[in-house]
Amino acid sequence: MTQTFTENDLLRYAYGETSSTENVEIEKSLLCDDLLQETYNQLVATLAELDKCAIKPSDSVVQRILDYSKSSNLPSVLK
Amino acid sequence: MIRKEVSDSQLVSLYMKGDEEAFAQLVEKHKSRVFTTIYLIVKDQYTAEDLMQDSFIKAVNTIKSGRYNEEGKFLPWLLRIAHNLAIDHFRKAKRYPTIVMEDGSNVFNTLEFSEDSIESLQIKKDTHALLRKLIQELPESQKEVLIMRHYMQMSFQEIADATDVSINTALGRMRYALINLRKKMQKTNIAYDPNFYRK
Repeated sequence: MTQTFTENDLLRYAYGETSSTENVEIEKSLLCDDLLQETYNQLVATLAELDKCAIKPSDSVVQRILDYSKSSNLPSVLK
Repeated sequence: MIRKEVSDSQLVSLYMKGDEEAFAQLVEKHKSRVFTTIYLIVKDQYTAEDLMQDSFIKAVNTIKSGRYNEEGKFLPWLLRIAHNLAIDHFRKAKRYPTIVMEDGSNVFNTLEFSEDSIESLQIKKDTHALLRKLIQELPESQKEVLIMRHYMQMSFQEIADATDVSINTALGRMRYALINLRKKMQKTNIAYDPNFYRK
């Protein structure tokens, strides 16, 4: 008999927080439960969208950070 | 000089010995994650850049003064600094509210940098900008968990500990955040095809 998994379990699985034993069971359930598979697909699709909306700061702020580090008078620790 | 993929811990060690190139690599590697985390909280690109700069400056000062002791965990440490600064700013801004425009930028930035209001100009055509706006509109508790899990890479247990709730509450908030986002995406016609991601 396959175990019933909740959406919370799927979330933990999608983020790699489930144990290897849970992984085997979840993967088994995904293969034979269309509804669970559909829920998981939606979850993964939404997470993929979140990945894509990461943004980069301007080059100027990055340069200011690097300049600050170079000009910092604090002594390097392990010289 | 060509360097192979070096771990954060190795880069920090090199930086402690005065290797500025190692620090440049750390910044390049993590700038997007730090900036996105802050931006989603403060909702303004200029403020986010200022806070990102402050975060890295704090990191530089801590490392160069020999007070850094989180070897191997540079990114979570840096993200905690960034998150704390962003939350502090957010709380202060709440106490002294600024006038927020329709696109989420504050009126000061709109007046000062009207020609540069890239986010507002692109928002209609840029679905990712729109998605960022939808994330910012989530209820605070849901947005907090989403940022901590997805962008700060904290585990659900770490989030539960940090926000003083049970792991099931943290998971529930994340689940509702994603459900809300999906609904809002459908309402605003952000098209994504779940079939595309099928294995």
